[in-house]
Amino acid sequence: MNHHNDNSKKNDNIINRRNFLKLAGPVALFLSCPAYAFDLFKVIDPEGKNSDIQKAKQALAGLTGIVQSAEKLDYQSEFTIGETLALEGFQRFGLPVKNDRLQTYVNTLGNAVAKNSPRPEISYYFVVIDTPIYNAFSCPGGIVFVSSALMKGMNNEADLACVLAHEVTHVAHKHALGSIRRAKFFESAAKIGTINMEGAEGKQFRDMVGNLQTVLFDKGLDKNKEYEADESGMDVAYRTGYDPNGLIRVLKMLQQKEATAASKGSWFSTHPPLASRLKKCYQWQQQYPDANQMATTQHRFLTYRNML
Amino acid sequence: MKKPLILFFRATLLLFLLVSVCGAATTLYVTSENAELKSDSSSFSSTLTELRRGAELTLVAKDGRWYQVSTVTNDTGWIYRGKVSGEKPEIENTEDAGAGLGGLLGGLSDSDIKADAADSSRSIRGLSPEAKEYARSTGTPRQSQDALDSVISRTASDSDIVHFLKNGKIGEYAD
Repeated sequence: MNHHNDNSKKNDNIINRRNFLKLAGPVALFLSCPAYAFDLFKVIDPEGKNSDIQKAKQALAGLTGIVQSAEKLDYQSEFTIGETLALEGFQRFGLPVKNDRLQTYVNTLGNAVAKNSPRPEISYYFVVIDTPIYNAFSCPGGIVFVSSALMKGMNNEADLACVLAHEVTHVAHKHALGSIRRAKFFESAAKIGTINMEGAEGKQFRDMVGNLQTVLFDKGLDKNKEYEADESGMDVAYRTGYDPNGLIRVLKMLQQKEATAASKGSWFSTHPPLASRLKKCYQWQQQYPDANQMATTQHRFLTYRNML
Repeated sequence: MKKPLILFFRATLLLFLLVSVCGAATTLYVTSENAELKSDSSSFSSTLTELRRGAELTLVAKDGRWYQVSTVTNDTGWIYRGKVSGEKPEIENTEDAGAGLGGLLGGLSDSDIKADAADSSRSIRGLSPEAKEYARSTGTPRQSQDALDSVISRTASDSDIVHFLKNGKIGEYAD
């Protein structure tokens, strides 16, 4: 019996020593760079099964209030970042088209589609902006922009549903936030209780929004995230009841416009080449054998498109 | 001699396949918001119950775009295929406030509004205090602030969406 207890204690000691070694790295890293420490925890215990590691993680997070990663921001914070980006978006690309009926139409269609997205719990806000640039983009938290030029190039509601579903998918998977997860803002947020926009923390916040602008408006997201949004966008549109080939039609339309349209800040410059996107879309198309029986709803769409 | 033997093996294989197909119940999960269990394979049939996202269902039969399913409480009815999937959806805990900007910007935030509460009240509140502060500190033009205010004040209610889909004969409302 004693022998058994000795063995048990020995095993406990070995486990504790192992856990100590596992914790030592993140703790050391935490002191210099908190956000990276949480990443290291993920590597050590990817499935979160080790209770000691999880307790240590919670303790570190509790001590500092650190966000842990950009993707794990609470919704309210995510939406606030989205709001600031939207403010920049209006200045960069243009203001909303002044037609309440048109805006309500696009917002209702977008929300109908979003109910079947991977993240239907949140509200989405869709806006058509007055610009000759062929573009659509989404801000974290669910504010989605679509340009009047892009909408003018479409011919039916399924086309628009697919584009909006593509953008909703970016929001659902937090693609934009994932692209700036190394931003200084998320590290220093651990060391402060409040942010004064006039101070250094405010500058880091603005820098982070600036980085997001570069990603969304200039550089574009990682091409695999775009492919993921294309695939998921087709699926979401189909689930709602629309012809998923709408995305293919929009990409083909853009191919025709590419030679003559302005490139800067457009889907041409911020997204992977249209040919490679189309190639993948044709593969995914095979999953929808009854696609041509799904809704395209041309008449209603044209009524609103003609308002542009 | 050989022919009956081949026939016997074929029949056994067919029987095995039939038993396998019939025996393996297909599990589905509700993946959409506002999913309803209907009494028949039509959106115009009566609603038996509303199903929460993530609810587990067992596939009983298919009729076009409609699936006959049974719930864990043994209710049987029909659901539109676009609202279910074989993969269990990730459910976001929108009540977990976490340690986000709302808290980090402490002094600027006017409340500890939960995510879902923030959703429904946003149309009343307009721009968040944090966004207003950002706009002030960056000298964002008034017209951009007004534009954003108008965008996030526009909501689409569940009944708006149903009306929209019905009018367009989309999805479960298709002929």
